[in-house]
Amino acid sequence: MEFVNPEGLRLDGRRPMEMRQLRAEIGVVSKADGSAVFEMGNTKVIAAVYGPREVQNRSQQSNDQALVRCEYSMANFSTGDRMRKPKGDRRSTEISMVIRQTMEACILTHLMPRSQIDIFVQVLQADGGTRSACINAATLALADAGIPMTDIVTSCSAGFLNGTPLLDLNYVEDSAGGPDVTVGILPKLDKVTLLQMDSKLQMETFETVMQLATEGCKAVASYIREVLLENTKQLESRRGV
Amino acid sequence: MAAASGTNDLSSEMELDAFRRLFPLSFHERHLLESIRPDGRPLGRARDTSLSLGAVASANGSALAKIGCTTMLAAIKLEVMTPTVEAPDEGCIAIDFHMPPICSPLIRPGRPAEVAPVISKQLSDTILSSGTIDLKELCLVSGKAAWMAYLDIYCLDADGALFDAALLSAVAAFSHLQIPVVSLNDDGRIVLVSEENGGSMKEKEPVNKEKIKLKMNSQPFSLTCILHKNYILADPISEEESIMETYLTVVLDTNYQLVSLNKPGGPGLASTSSIQDCIALAQKRVKELQQILSEAISDMEVD
Repeated sequence: MEFVNPEGLRLDGRRPMEMRQLRAEIGVVSKADGSAVFEMGNTKVIAAVYGPREVQNRSQQSNDQALVRCEYSMANFSTGDRMRKPKGDRRSTEISMVIRQTMEACILTHLMPRSQIDIFVQVLQADGGTRSACINAATLALADAGIPMTDIVTSCSAGFLNGTPLLDLNYVEDSAGGPDVTVGILPKLDKVTLLQMDSKLQMETFETVMQLATEGCKAVASYIREVLLENTKQLESRRGV
Repeated sequence: MAAASGTNDLSSEMELDAFRRLFPLSFHERHLLESIRPDGRPLGRARDTSLSLGAVASANGSALAKIGCTTMLAAIKLEVMTPTVEAPDEGCIAIDFHMPPICSPLIRPGRPAEVAPVISKQLSDTILSSGTIDLKELCLVSGKAAWMAYLDIYCLDADGALFDAALLSAVAAFSHLQIPVVSLNDDGRIVLVSEENGGSMKEKEPVNKEKIKLKMNSQPFSLTCILHKNYILADPISEEESIMETYLTVVLDTNYQLVSLNKPGGPGLASTSSIQDCIALAQKRVKELQQILSEAISDMEVD
């Protein structure tokens, strides 16, 4: 199947190095300490952060740092065919763990001992790149909750089909069987915190694809910073500063 | 009374937020004496309600309903199934209500909300018994194929009056539902008629060319009221629900017929006059909600 036509356009009309349209909104769940909606094309994800709050399970309480927990779940209607088991299945458990470990790397947990930070992510519409959208939404929600972090974490995926590296795969491109590289970075520190790849890839091609995904992450980071700045300006004006 | 005077003494020295946290009942009762609630609403008024149809592009019908801060996302997905032997001409509706942990600080993973299955059952009973959807409309080929409509409602923000918001989003999702055009192919299977192979004559004629939108008989709308001493508070927020635990839910349809009445116990007792007052408040609310729903539908059609 042709994923990149001879004119260089993909199935949805994008160029190979073009990301899908990003859209983010902060403070959408009034009950949560921090929340955000993040959209990458048709993938729509909502994240809510509760914390720091009291540890639910006393035995897991840590005296020198905060406990970070994460739960990833997909809505029944998020995928093409209705899902029977949206959480508790292996994929959701794996992604929950991946998001938790990624965010744990950047949260300054030693500042909040004996407490717990809960990150909940719900996928409302899935069209490829849900892992990345979840991490981006979690970053925004943590920032909205005012939780101290060393840097924001942004994530993006890239693949390699028809001999071309492609940025930000959607569901059709992802399920084509080609390699899928997901990268999560701390943009200011320029460090990689998340790196996952499946399927086979040549070494040199891998470097190109990873470089492309990192560029995508940086683009997401600048968008996220804009959104956060805009949000702070609104808060400022509401307080009459 | 000693406790009340104790709080009165402290209240002059304490800050408002602290007083609200430590003595929530006195805080709310002081407002009720002035016939007003902490957010400035009169006792019988519901919060600002908004509806938006088609929130989920991948579903056959969807709606996002917000009553104040309470947010519900409802989506309907259709699948083909074989109808039962007892009802070969009827489809089926499966209603499920979810409260994911994002909606409230009280829900933790591993400790699901107690109210979620209760509301799920209430919604299911109300929608099916109100007769707003005629199941015969969901039939494709009598005895062989019918639509199974899976309605999933997700609570994205739980701030009181969950049943009202869920019912509103469900009704709105059904009014937005577009049944896809399908045809019966040679193997006796139902297939979707997509734009690409609509031109090929290999498949038989579409089974349901005409039925694209569901026809809904009078739609049900609800109002939850809290009963506390002699006061009736319409459309409670979650703080009011947790301190004054007695509530009464009235469901009326657009013909102002009573569809369902639910007062699941609670420390407050209701006299017949207070029940009638609640029904009167519900009647006013039905008018408002009908207006909001028809505006949302006409907004969709303009697009």
